[in-house]
Amino acid sequence: MEKENLSLTQLLALEFIFLLGSAIIMGVGTELRQNSWIAIAIATVLGTGIMYLFYTLNELLPNHNLFEIMEYGFTRPVAIFISVFYIIYFLYISSRLNRDFVELIATAILPLTPIEVISLTVMLVIIYIVYLGVEVLARVSEIFFPYLLGFIFLLIVFLFASGRIKLQNAQPMLGDGFMPVIKGIFPGLITFPFGELIVFTVILSSVTHLKKAKKVVLLGVVMAGFSLTFATVIMLMSLGADTMEFSIFPLLSAARKISIANFIERTDALVVFIMLLGILVKSSLFFYAGLKGLEYIFRIPYRDFTFPIGMTVACFTVWVSANFAEHEEEGLVFVTRYLHPPMQFGIPFLLLGIILWKTKKRQKANKKSTAV
Amino acid sequence: MLTSERPFVRVRRKLREAKNTISSEDKQLSILENEMISLHELKESILSAFGQTADLIMEQVRIAEEEGILFYLNSTIDKSQLQQTLMNKHTNQPNSSLDLKTVEGIQDFCEQMFGGSGYKLTQTAEEAINELLDGSFVIASKNFPLIISIGMPNTNLRQVAEPTSQTVIRGPKDSFVEASSINLSLIRRRIRNSNLRFEEFSIGSETKTKVYIGYMNEIANEKIVEEVRKRLNKINVSAIFESGNIEELLVDKTLTVFPLAFNTERPDTVAGELMEGKICIVVDGTPFALLVPVVFTDFFISSEDYYHHYMISSFLRVIRYISFMIVLIVPSAYVGILTYHPELVPTYLLINIMAQREGVPFPAVVEVLIMEFTFEILREAGIRMPRAVGQTVSIVGALVIGQAAAEAGLISNIMVIIVAITATANFVAPVYSLSAATRILRLILIPIAGFLGLYGVLLGLVVMVAHLASLRSFGVPYLAPIAPLNMKDQKDVFIRFPYWGLRRRPSYLRTAEPIKQEKSDLNTPPDMQGRNGG
Repeated sequence: MEKENLSLTQLLALEFIFLLGSAIIMGVGTELRQNSWIAIAIATVLGTGIMYLFYTLNELLPNHNLFEIMEYGFTRPVAIFISVFYIIYFLYISSRLNRDFVELIATAILPLTPIEVISLTVMLVIIYIVYLGVEVLARVSEIFFPYLLGFIFLLIVFLFASGRIKLQNAQPMLGDGFMPVIKGIFPGLITFPFGELIVFTVILSSVTHLKKAKKVVLLGVVMAGFSLTFATVIMLMSLGADTMEFSIFPLLSAARKISIANFIERTDALVVFIMLLGILVKSSLFFYAGLKGLEYIFRIPYRDFTFPIGMTVACFTVWVSANFAEHEEEGLVFVTRYLHPPMQFGIPFLLLGIILWKTKKRQKANKKSTAV
Repeated sequence: MLTSERPFVRVRRKLREAKNTISSEDKQLSILENEMISLHELKESILSAFGQTADLIMEQVRIAEEEGILFYLNSTIDKSQLQQTLMNKHTNQPNSSLDLKTVEGIQDFCEQMFGGSGYKLTQTAEEAINELLDGSFVIASKNFPLIISIGMPNTNLRQVAEPTSQTVIRGPKDSFVEASSINLSLIRRRIRNSNLRFEEFSIGSETKTKVYIGYMNEIANEKIVEEVRKRLNKINVSAIFESGNIEELLVDKTLTVFPLAFNTERPDTVAGELMEGKICIVVDGTPFALLVPVVFTDFFISSEDYYHHYMISSFLRVIRYISFMIVLIVPSAYVGILTYHPELVPTYLLINIMAQREGVPFPAVVEVLIMEFTFEILREAGIRMPRAVGQTVSIVGALVIGQAAAEAGLISNIMVIIVAITATANFVAPVYSLSAATRILRLILIPIAGFLGLYGVLLGLVVMVAHLASLRSFGVPYLAPIAPLNMKDQKDVFIRFPYWGLRRRPSYLRTAEPIKQEKSDLNTPPDMQGRNGG
């Protein structure tokens, strides 16, 4: 296994695209109507804290990924047992993300193409990227990063230029008090997209200068959170609370409103293409994390698993749900309530506690031994 | 010595002399032990090695009053030089002070007579044969203990002319030729620095082609130089005729259409890149030199960029990047948009296009493929055609592509525009190898667009970027300095900063000396108050 190296810029790009990836397309917290952006802003702050904890986990044991850290914390048999759940979790989320991707394509640009075809083609691309390594994935996201930022910026400028931004759409703010916001954050926003940063506990071990990475990972969350908040405000103001809440892909609906000089119009398809890059990167990361888990269990280079497991994920992309409504319902209820919290917070925090305790114990022992 | 016209020869000779001094001492010992090869034996072995070849000349000569035989290959040596040097009046004079029967004597004799002309003393027939092939003549005498060979290779090849494939508007108009010695001197003339080193390799088990690597000693990364040496030494083929042969054997073994070494026929490009810390490979017999390591963005840079005003060059570079994207995307985007996303086109334009396409019997993808292939055929024909009929091709091509096909209802007029813009944009690339890669990728993307629309094009591009990101040229990431990103290197990638601003060498080359030039003071208008008088 060759050692892969990520630079700090690449880490930032990965994290930004990861957080924005599907969240900006699917729309997060839209059920909170006018309060959605407030909730996202608060969740960003909390998200920074979560990322800090995940980073601490990696900082305590540098050059160890999540699975190896678990081995340190729980011993290998237990770690393998938990890893199995993590692998299933990562691969499941990866196939769910692919389903988002597939549904978006099927809804917006290729309505007549069977979703199996889209699922297979996108998975082949993901397999290729992941086979080439996380380094390549990071470079790809580094290249697409400016385009993604640029398109969000352009989208906002165009919406303003088309005169679609209406400030009164943002009213009334906090009409029902603060409780809905809290309910929206827990467990909705905190798990998706911020809790999903758990994937980075697998990636961070590849970062060259982990010591300097602290600022970068936190900056990434803040930047992405800010962009997400801003994008939500723009969507809210251009679409109005009702349309935003009931639209499947609010960003797409917002992009449809653009019309400048009878020339720049119907940009939604283009928006889709750019935003797809986000989901692609995110899904690749989850897929990679799952494969890394398999590498840990079987001690076989993860590249050997890429194709067979990738094909399985492609199948599950189609099989996870019968239709888009079911997919959405599962995502909002089952995954958010029962799957995300233990995997994103329960096990990692338990692990962090144990490792902190162990390192302290070791320090004490060291002190004793040096004293004696 | 210092004013010698071809300093590299000096270096080479020095190396050779250094080798000689070491080996001649050994030789003296071995001569005493071994039986000297007799003149008859030498003649026999040379004749048996070369057989009945017509260009082997064997002449009876008198050298220092001794009967000797002169061997040379008519085809490799410069005969006028031979007559001037060897047959001058001194050579044949008896030299009583030296005893030519001893090794010391013959060494002294050669020093006096042939000093400065690159002579070499050999002992075995194999060495003599190799010297003959290298462009030397060989003199042997019954009474001499050693065989004298003097290098006098024929350099009267094509004259230095203007570059034909990498032309510029402003900049030096010389280009490499087939003779490597002239090529090296073209480089050396531009870099008058003792740190410029050339190393000689002989590659190809049958052709024994001379290959030189050149680098700046205290600038280029020694590890990369060592890697190049290692890879050159590893090459094990029978024949090398062009730097393209070397290129394929030298670069990483990857399945890619992208060039992993830069080829150029411009000595100023080579000199400039050597100063950046790259390594050049000059192959005898071809006007194309290689530069390694190379990154993707190098292929968008012409040496002219550094001669024009920096704003103009920056503009031209942006144009080149846009052209690259046009070549890659426009035909497939046309297919994708017309087939799957007509709503992306402004309505009136769409009506126009559809009206034109009404008579066209093919789907867009077939239409595009027909036209792109037609153009590729015309282009290839334009290169291979004898000059005299070249005109015909362009006329036929213009008529066929431009008018007849559209009028016959095979293709729509908009298609002519697409092919024309793609073709023109393809010629913008300063280096042919990248434009060839783009052409192939374009032809791959078109059918994908036919199957999956713009979504397929996007996936294709993602795969292409991932593939580019995975490539390495001698350990340097191919997409550097964009991914991995390095802000300091951005001064000379998409835009070119003013010359005084380019103070650093590219960091991805990991050069021994990263600073290229000191910070220079910029000129301000002089105080002219006295004259203009406020």
